[in-house]
Amino acid sequence: METIDKISWEIRSDIGIITLDNPPENYLVQPEFVPLEVLKKWTSYDYLKGIIICGAGKHFSGGGKLENLFRMIRNKENITESMEKGKAVLDHLEELEIPVVAAIQGICFGGGLEVALASHIRVCAENALFAFPEINQGVIPGLGGTVRCFGKTGFPRAMKLIMSGDMINAEDAQEMNLVDFIVGKQKVFDFSFSLLQKLTRDRPLTVINAVMKALKNARSMSIEDAMKEETRMFCELALAEASRRNGSRETKK
Amino acid sequence: MNIPVYSTIHLVFDEGIGLLELNTPPSNTMTMEFFAEFASVLEFIRAHTEFRALIISGRGRHFSSGADVPVLLREILEKAETDKNGKLTKVPDFLSSNYKSLLILESFNIPVISSIRGVCLGSALELALFSHFRLCGEDAVFSLPEASFNLVPGLGGIYKLCCISGQALALDRVLRGSTFTAEDAFKYRIVDKLVPKKVLLATATGFAREVMQDFRIEKRALYVKKYLA
Repeated sequence: METIDKISWEIRSDIGIITLDNPPENYLVQPEFVPLEVLKKWTSYDYLKGIIICGAGKHFSGGGKLENLFRMIRNKENITESMEKGKAVLDHLEELEIPVVAAIQGICFGGGLEVALASHIRVCAENALFAFPEINQGVIPGLGGTVRCFGKTGFPRAMKLIMSGDMINAEDAQEMNLVDFIVGKQKVFDFSFSLLQKLTRDRPLTVINAVMKALKNARSMSIEDAMKEETRMFCELALAEASRRNGSRETKK
Repeated sequence: MNIPVYSTIHLVFDEGIGLLELNTPPSNTMTMEFFAEFASVLEFIRAHTEFRALIISGRGRHFSSGADVPVLLREILEKAETDKNGKLTKVPDFLSSNYKSLLILESFNIPVISSIRGVCLGSALELALFSHFRLCGEDAVFSLPEASFNLVPGLGGIYKLCCISGQALALDRVLRGSTFTAEDAFKYRIVDKLVPKKVLLATATGFAREVMQDFRIEKRALYVKKYLA
């Protein structure tokens, strides 16, 4: 197990586990979550088939500490640069070609919610609470959370969540497409782990990567370009599969 | 209007509504010949303004079990261009033409309604996802099984499922490759209405007759609410 900035990393069978490890509220020490080069190193093992992001103890994460942010501003540290780094980290996470599941229980606020929104699947406990409290301090989510939230929930609901700073529960979050699964409160991690195993266990990495790329294209490309790519990836896999089948037929002879 | 005769598709026309049936029963497999004929049927329909709505269905008990995978693999192996390391350099024209047919179908300015009974698997589900509306019988069974034989859906199925049902669901259905029921499909917003199978085609026809009066794709949600709720 490795730990940096109160965020730890371990690998269990072929699933990587990122734990926000700053209990009780698991505040993010750095506004940018975890340094990009560290995340890249952790996720570079070529046998990994999925990643879970979870919080240590009762909560997922209370997000970044705004006091830290304001201190950085007072000390004239380069806050823009820090936020840009954070965006690059979450973009990297979202663009990984293996599925990332956020396993959420307790509070999931601000930067924590932004991390969850950059994941591909969000599983939450029935006791989970979500909010973008930034507005109460006169700021807004700064790591792409506004854009990602809008993409999931549509404009009116994203606006309400971000402009009000109000807290919503698991059921409301699911109703507005902010989370994908609700499970019992002790079961979040186990459910997420077994979900990832079920999805990836019998699948070669080439297939998993192709599906993830196609989903990324669905988020970012026109339908014409995305379909061209989808057909190309299909064709590549079909070539490999056709050769494999031919090969095994020849061996049988 | 003289409707051409096809060997893998059955096309009829009645009171403004075209009924296009996949016609290689029992499973209505989408063969190479089917895809070629499908492209020309679409051209024919596009060229004849008498068509004011189109219903797509399968002849017999099933919609379709999807592409003929062994033949498809063989054709790709034969026709794909590769470099000396075996890396793909050009997708065969027939594959590009298949996905372009679905884009043409989707761009029709008349309502396109898939009426789905029995199995609707792989490319057949992709075809249905490019229709403007989907009605299905209570017995319908769906899946995108490609991952279970080391492939991925290749005709825009991942894209469409992601838009319609969301990323998590698309990821789940595509990677598992397992089948799901009509109720699930409705829950995932993949189908707009579940209908007892005996009245499915009649319901689809009635719906087509309503929507074709004033069809605009931007009003899709409105039509679903008004006529299919």
